[in-house]
This record gives sequence, C-alpha cells and structure tokens, in this order.
Amino acid sequence: MNYLVQASTDVGLTKATNQDSLCIKVMTINGSRVAFAALCDGMGGLAKGEVASATVIDALSQWAEDTLPILVASGNLSDHVLREQWEQIVSEQSKKIMAYGESIGIKLGTTVCAILLTDDRYYVLNVGDSRVYEVYDEVKVITRDQTLVQRELDSGMITPEQALNDPRRSILLQCVGASYNVYPDLFFGETKKDAVYFLCSDGFRHEISESEIFQAFNPSVLESTDAMKQNAEYLIELNKNRKETDNISVALVRTF
Amino acid sequence: MLEIGSTIGGIYKILNVIGKGGMSVVYLAMNEKANKQWAVKEVRKDGIRNFEVVKQGLVAETNMLKKLNHPNLPDIIDVIDNDDTFIIVMDYIEGNSLSKSIEEYGALPQSQVIMWAKQLCDVLGYLHTRTPPIIYRDMKPSNVMLSPDGKKVTLIDFGTAREYKSQNIADTTCLGTIGYAAPEQFGGQGQTDARTDIYCLGATLYHLVTGQNPSEPPYEIRPIREWNPSLSEGLEKIILKCTQKNPDDRYQSCTELLYDLEHYDELDALTQKKQKNKLRVFIALLAASAVFLTSGFVSLNLKKGETDDIFNEYITSAENSSTSVEKIDNYKKAIELKPEEFLPYQRLVEAMIEDDVFSSDEVSVIRGYKTNIKALSSDEEYPQLAYDIAKMYWSCYEKQSSENVNQNILNSAEWLDIVVEYKDFKNYKTASVMKKIAEYISSTQQAFSQVDNEKNADDTKELFEDLKNMIKEIENDTSDILKLKTYDIIRYIISQSATDFKKAGIQKTDVIDLLSSIKSGVELIENANFEDEEKEILTSVEDTFSTIDTAYQNSRGGN
Repeated sequence: MNYLVQASTDVGLTKATNQDSLCIKVMTINGSRVAFAALCDGMGGLAKGEVASATVIDALSQWAEDTLPILVASGNLSDHVLREQWEQIVSEQSKKIMAYGESIGIKLGTTVCAILLTDDRYYVLNVGDSRVYEVYDEVKVITRDQTLVQRELDSGMITPEQALNDPRRSILLQCVGASYNVYPDLFFGETKKDAVYFLCSDGFRHEISESEIFQAFNPSVLESTDAMKQNAEYLIELNKNRKETDNISVALVRTF
Repeated sequence: MLEIGSTIGGIYKILNVIGKGGMSVVYLAMNEKANKQWAVKEVRKDGIRNFEVVKQGLVAETNMLKKLNHPNLPDIIDVIDNDDTFIIVMDYIEGNSLSKSIEEYGALPQSQVIMWAKQLCDVLGYLHTRTPPIIYRDMKPSNVMLSPDGKKVTLIDFGTAREYKSQNIADTTCLGTIGYAAPEQFGGQGQTDARTDIYCLGATLYHLVTGQNPSEPPYEIRPIREWNPSLSEGLEKIILKCTQKNPDDRYQSCTELLYDLEHYDELDALTQKKQKNKLRVFIALLAASAVFLTSGFVSLNLKKGETDDIFNEYITSAENSSTSVEKIDNYKKAIELKPEEFLPYQRLVEAMIEDDVFSSDEVSVIRGYKTNIKALSSDEEYPQLAYDIAKMYWSCYEKQSSENVNQNILNSAEWLDIVVEYKDFKNYKTASVMKKIAEYISSTQQAFSQVDNEKNADDTKELFEDLKNMIKEIENDTSDILKLKTYDIIRYIISQSATDFKKAGIQKTDVIDLLSSIKSGVELIENANFEDEEKEILTSVEDTFSTIDTAYQNSRGGN
C-alpha cells in the first residue's frame, strides 16, 4: 500500500492558543509501507492544554519510531499486542499529565485518536471526542465518541435531535490526564485501497455536514497532497465562516 | 503565593503547603502564642478569570460559613481580605482524605463506610436545614477528611463548588474532573437542591464500598453486590435509591436517608422476606397461567420464523468472523434477539476464552447476562458454561492490582456454586477446590474489618491440604493462563498465611515443598505469550520463599 499524507490546523476564531497537536508518519519496513497518524485535542486552564496534547503526541510519535518498526519487522504486529502497547502508553501519559497538573494546581487533559495503516489492516485508538473517519464510497466514522451525550444517546435517554443541542455536549466521559485509569477504545478493520482516512478534533466537524465532508474528502478528488491541503483548508474556512470557535485540526491519509 | 515562614495578620505563621486546588492553596500555619495549628486557605488571583466576582461570592459564603457550627465541619476562625488575595483561616483537620484511603486500600470496609455515611448525612442535613438552605454540591471522597483513628469524618472545601462548575461547563470537560455530578447538575437540566447532595453522597458511598469510581467505565452505578456479593443488600438498596436519575425517586431529605442508614441490616431481612413472598406469588401465577399457555404459543409462532432467520444469520456470521471482537459482537446480537437460547451464551464465552484475554468490557457483558444464563439451568451444558465463566474470572489476564484479582476470584464463586451441584460433571473436583479457595479469599476480606483475626488450626490445616490438591488438579489443565493465575493465587495465599501455617503446626519443609511445586509448575509452562507473567510470578515466588523464612524464624525467636 502507498500513502499520501497531509495535515492542517487552525487556532480558530476566539481562542488565544491552539491546543491541538498532531503527527503523521509514513515508513517503509522490510519493503512494505505503513502509515501512522495521531491527533490530540488538549484542554485545561491557563493555556496548558497544549502541554497535555503535545506530551501524548510525543509519546506516540516516539513509539512509532522506536517500537513500531520492530513489531512490523518481526511479524509480531497483532490486535492484541497493539492494544496492550497503546493502552500502556495512554495510561502512562495520563499519570504523567495528572502528576504535572497536581504539581501546579490546575486540571488539564487531552483527547487522543490515532490510526495505524498497514497493507491489509487498520488499527485505531480513541479516547474522548476526536474522531477517525474512513471515506470510500461514503463517509464512515470509525471511532465512537466517549462523551456523555453519546452515552445518553446509546442508552436511549435522548434523541439524535436533542443530542445536537444538549447542554452537556462538551462533557467527555474520559480524557488522558484527568483520571488515574483511562480505558481507550480500539477499532480494527481492513485497509481499503484508494480510500481516505482522516483524524480530526471536534472543532472540525460540528458545523459541517457529512455530504460536505464527502465532497471535499472523497478519494477521487484527493489525488495529490496539494489537493488534500487545499480541501482541508477549505473545510476549515467553512467551519470558521459558520462561527466555529474551537481550535480546528485535521490529519489526512489517502491510500493508493 | 504566601511565603513559607511569613506571618499572616500578625498571628499565623505559615509553615508549609498542604494542598492545592483549582483556585486555592492551603497552608499549615501556627499560632505561636496559643501553640495551635491552623489551616490557611489562600485564593489566588492568578488562577481565576474574574477574580472580583469570585471574591465577592467567597466573602458572602465565608460569612455564612462563619455562622455554622457542627462537629463534622471545620470552624472558620478568621478572614483576611487583601486586594489580590483572599485568605481564610480555619481548623486544621488532621488525617487524610477518603480518596487517599481508596487509593491505598481499594474498597473500604462496609461497617466503617456506614458509620461515616451517617455522619455525612447528619452534616448535610444540618446544612440543608439552614435558612436559606445551603447545598454543598461537591460531595466526593477527596472532600472528606478522615481522622487518624478512622472514626470521624469532616467535610472540607466549601463554597467553591458552584462557581467552579458553572465556569467550566462551557469548555470541554472530563467527567472525571467534575466529581459525581448528579444529572440535574449539568446545565439546563433543572435546579439543584438537597436531593443533589443526596445523589452525590450515594455516589460517594458506592465508590467507597466497591472501590469503583462511578466516573469511570462503565460510567454507571451498578448494584454494589455485583462487585462484591458479600455486601449488604440493604446498603445496596440505599445507594440505588440515592442515585436515581430523577430527584423525585431519591430520598427526599437527609432525615429519610439517615433513618435507612441506621436500619440497613433490617432492610436486609425485609427484602429476604419479600423475596419469599414474591416466590409464592410467582408460583401461584404460574399455576394460573398454565391454562393460557397453549393459546400463547400460537400467537408467538407467527413471528417466530422471521426471528429464527435473523438469529441464524448472526450465529453464522459469528462463526465466520475473523476476530474475537466481531464474533462476540455477533453473538451479543443473537442473544438480544433470542435471550432464551442457550447456544449463543456458550459460544460467546468460548469466543472470550479463545484469545486468553478477559477484559473489563467482557466482564460487564457477562455480568449483564447473568440472570439470563441462570434461567437456562436446564440445559445439559449448563455446568460446563458455569465452569467456563468461573475459569474466565480466574484467568483474568489484564494486569490489575492484587485487590482486583481477589475481586475476580470472588466473582467466580457464584458460578462455582453452580458447578459443584453437578457431582458427575467432569471437572467437579477442580471446581470444588476452586470454590474452597474462593471462599477462603472471601473470608480474608471480611476479616479485614474484624478485630478477631485468629484462625483455628484445623481450618488452616484443611486450607493447606486444599492448596496441595489444587496444584495437583491444575497440573492437567490445558489452559496455560489459568494454570499461571492459579499458581499465583495459591502463592498469594501462602504468602498471606505463612504465619498461620506455622501456628497450626505445619512443617516449614512442607510449606517450602508446596511453594517449590508452584515454582516448577510455572517453569514447566512454555508459552511465549505469557513470558512476562511467568517472570513476574517467579519473582513473587522468590519473595514468598523469604516470607516463609521470616514467618518461621520470627516465631522461633519468640519461643
């Protein structure tokens, strides 16, 4: 499998700092190529949210560089091994961020989502309300938001319409750095050729529709990194025109 | 920040920092003339967006608090209002917060929790009956201080809850950081009142007796005996009533709650009586409905063909799924469709066992189906299923603290109870020894709260024999992870009971032999997937050898 990658991020209309962090890597290991992307949406008083999001991205990025090649080369990459390693990274980082927050008397944390793409399989990690999407002949959300509203929706307490305007929209069930234990969700599936996989912070998706995402991100229009950049920036601007106030970030991988 | 060593208001000398909150720092201070210690809380300007507004609120609240007088509240002694800081001088409460206790010990003894609950109920009731009523709004273990003797609790950190929450809600927030917020505490969902505090007190009690944080998965308050079957049924009912979503369904006042807390053991007896009555009614209904059964079946059959097709489809796609996650998912769908079918439960458990991992998600899936499964006891594979579930709890692979391992053993007990009813079942012997060990672990947990910890020598000898038998039984099992975990559990019991063994007159060499057979058993297992576990257990085995040495040496020294 081959990959085109691109990312864009914007501080948005009202916030003083951009607390989102992200990374994308493409590597060739033993002749086959893998792509890894991660995105974190930080939160916390006094502009410390970016510390949380950058810390987690650093740790994942380090893992992708040091451990991932060994896993792939030795043929030990499996759902089980990945779950174990990612869970460990997330819980270690959570403890680290929590200790830091306690030492300076503030609360901070971050969401995290990540995807690893190999020839035949994808592996997805999620904590919080950032998302990973697959765009092929339709727009599909791979992750499930870990939010109070999503949970209420699942248990039938509220309707999808109520969910859109629920005052609790911004409450996450968990995030990295806010609790001693963090339980990430993992998702696995088959990597599609000629598909677009993208990660985004919640600021990217509240104001735009699925069909707008499909128009800008379907594989047939994203045939070059330039087109990817252009369309990502177009959707970010669209969000801002519709008065999205949050930081807005998106990381794209197109397979071919 | 106040300077360490400086003197505030000419009286209170700042000794050191003892706590930090979102908006404030708490210091230990000394009044040198009176030789008494105080807590000094400084609200920092730099931590707050609109300090003036917050400060006005604080002044008002502090003035109100100064008028309060209750044994479970700290007294406010002095308020110092500067331009950029706001300082409150109050009683210094010795001890640790209840959140520290949970962190250290996990679930706390029920009898103590109930004792604290009564005090908390009393102080909340006191606040609610002031005019105007004071709603605390931030009841959680970290806001309750426990005195060093474990007998008295004090409610701390007053008056910041309201401002802090309304500020935060607009931004992205984590459930974990907002405590056990009652449903009505999230914006736009009705007013908060005394019943909000009752909800949060219920959530606090739940966390204390189960060790499970309600703000962590499964993010809901389960009946407490699902976590630990030895807990009181009465307390379970009390906690469930406190934490109802609709405030109208909760206790309406602390007086009501206090009454039930004082009579929780009577509630136990009462429910037992009711259940017996229920059974009687059920039997009567069964007899009455027999007449109508035939017609009932006819109407059911009309839709049955359709359901059968979808059901079979789920089973087929489960069998063809490549990953256990997909498999489990399909079996769950099949179960939802026909909860009365035995097969999908059986296959579901097999799929969970297949990957040797029994995750917390899977634990809660099984817990959810418990009643369903138990209703299917007539199936001939029923004892096998119960045995598989018990084994799953034993081999719970995820790394957990020792308390959680114990919890899994406790959870296995009720399934083992089922297995041992089938004397002809092929694993009957193993199951009955497993059950004995589970009972032993359960008894050690209960003993935690009892002063009289002496064990009688015969029981200890019997336990020792059981452990020996267990090792023989497990040697032939095919699951490596079950073997490893069982070896570790036995090792754990040896390390806990070494002194008892000595007291019961068991020879040191016998204990050493037992431990050595564990060691060689572990070494015999050659499975690359569990290398880490093996190493870990072998290290613990070495530690346990020293524990035995110490136990036997110490007692000799005493003779």
